[in-house]
Amino acid sequence: MIALTVFGLFVGKYPLMLEKLLAGDEMQLRVFLTLRLSRVLVGLVGGFALGVSGFVYQTVFRNPLASPDIIGVSSGASAGAAAGILFLSGAAAVTASAFAGAVAAVLMALALASLDRSGRNSSIVLSGIAVHSLAQTALMCLKLTADPERELASIEYWIMGSLNGVSSYAIGGNLALCIACLAALFLLHRQIILLSAEEGEARTLGVSVGRLRLTVLLIATLTVADVVSLTGLISFAGLLAPHGARLLTKDNRIGTMALSGILGAVILLAADILARSVAGTELPVSIFTSLIGAPFLISLIMKGRRRA
Amino acid sequence: MSGFQAKGICAGYGAKRVIDGLSLSMESGRVMGILGANGSGKTTLIKSICGILRHEGECMLEGVTLEKLSARQLAQKCSYIPQRSGISIDLSALDVVLMGFNPQLKLLAHPSAAMKKQALEALEMVGLGDRTQENYLNLSEGQKQLCILARTLVADSRLLLLDEPESALDFRFRYRMLSTIRDWVQSDGRFALVTLHDPMLALNGCDDLLILKDGRNIGVLHPGTDSFEKMEELLCAVYGRVSLVSCADRTGRRHIVMLKEGEDAL
Repeated sequence: MIALTVFGLFVGKYPLMLEKLLAGDEMQLRVFLTLRLSRVLVGLVGGFALGVSGFVYQTVFRNPLASPDIIGVSSGASAGAAAGILFLSGAAAVTASAFAGAVAAVLMALALASLDRSGRNSSIVLSGIAVHSLAQTALMCLKLTADPERELASIEYWIMGSLNGVSSYAIGGNLALCIACLAALFLLHRQIILLSAEEGEARTLGVSVGRLRLTVLLIATLTVADVVSLTGLISFAGLLAPHGARLLTKDNRIGTMALSGILGAVILLAADILARSVAGTELPVSIFTSLIGAPFLISLIMKGRRRA
Repeated sequence: MSGFQAKGICAGYGAKRVIDGLSLSMESGRVMGILGANGSGKTTLIKSICGILRHEGECMLEGVTLEKLSARQLAQKCSYIPQRSGISIDLSALDVVLMGFNPQLKLLAHPSAAMKKQALEALEMVGLGDRTQENYLNLSEGQKQLCILARTLVADSRLLLLDEPESALDFRFRYRMLSTIRDWVQSDGRFALVTLHDPMLALNGCDDLLILKDGRNIGVLHPGTDSFEKMEELLCAVYGRVSLVSCADRTGRRHIVMLKEGEDAL
């Protein structure tokens, strides 16, 4: 991860040299501080956040395929971003609008779910699906009204995800919120594991299941919303990192949760480096998270099988 | 007020009422078995008492109304062993046992070294001393059940509720589990309420036997003191015509054996 971080800092259209940087070359410094540093920071923290929240979702929903999409965060963010692109101007406004969309979708899903007072997993999933399709519909309507030349293209491009638009002025608040949420998730790790037991069982272990689950999901989803609103959708990293981590450690201790984060960061950083160096133009990062992720997961599975 | 009493418990699923106005009472230091045919409401009764199922009526444990407690307070008073634990992720047996300390821990606190030691002792006690680091999901069904028993023992509650704990265990471990529970109950004047499938295990291992039929308490047996005629009459309601016989094993210990008297129409 450290190697990738360093590498990520120096790879890009504008070549950076360590000697020139240390010598205080102004252009070099500016590129380093405003472009590269923020980009790598978002890759690190964002990837870490996606990995950790993937771990949380899979544990809380007791489902290895669970991801933030389940409660509509990605589609909410997309709809929000589309609205931002159409009606507002500037990258910061789009980010804010995507974040608002994601949070609104999640709050709506959780509010719908809490109408069913039993707070079952299935009711959260069902209301998530409902919100997800509502947001998709909103997104479609927004796309219909978009100018096909410029706006529609930038909506599509946003949805494909990239660390390209990330600039230093916007990330401070996002990163701070993201790190705070991550810290809270790590503090709650023991409770998250308790939620993986069956509902009644967790209750008899003294867990207020409904309340705790809502809290944990809200924090995990805020984390994702926070990242996704900066970068656009990033496929696969959040689903894959926890599986990789568990295949390596074979347990679900707090170390495994941290490893999920580290793997998430590695995948996203590597994908971003490829996205901006493979072709002449910048490519969407999701292409590479999937391209790196899928073989990586398959190799881990093969290795696990050989050992067993 | 001491002892455990349940009064007028009614519970069910949707509109269907499975338990209908059931009352029972037991004294401390005793293991009460619950016998009943399939669908007679054994599991529903256990789930109502431990607060998983919403129900009418009131449970009093040593003068405290259980229905008024929060999940955490309730878990400090009574613990529960389901027919099958819902744990579905990779956790070591030790981690599973450590879950039992949750009611005693603050929200963000971690189990202490002393708790870990206690958890290892509990695993040793149920016969899983050499399996502490093994993945819970790779244990056999019976070993899982023993692991959950260890989790319950460390929780140090007053009332233990078990739902068919013997179903996955082989002959030897059945008796061992019940005697572990007995020792634990007698050591500190606690209570245990156990639903059982095996009537002979119940007759020889429990202090009292609650007989359930159609969600009602139709009588309580005391296998140690009641006459066989009285017990046969009540057991008939669950098992059809049966005879009880007293046998001695080679060491001279008396056992009650239940024999089926021919087939009866269902």
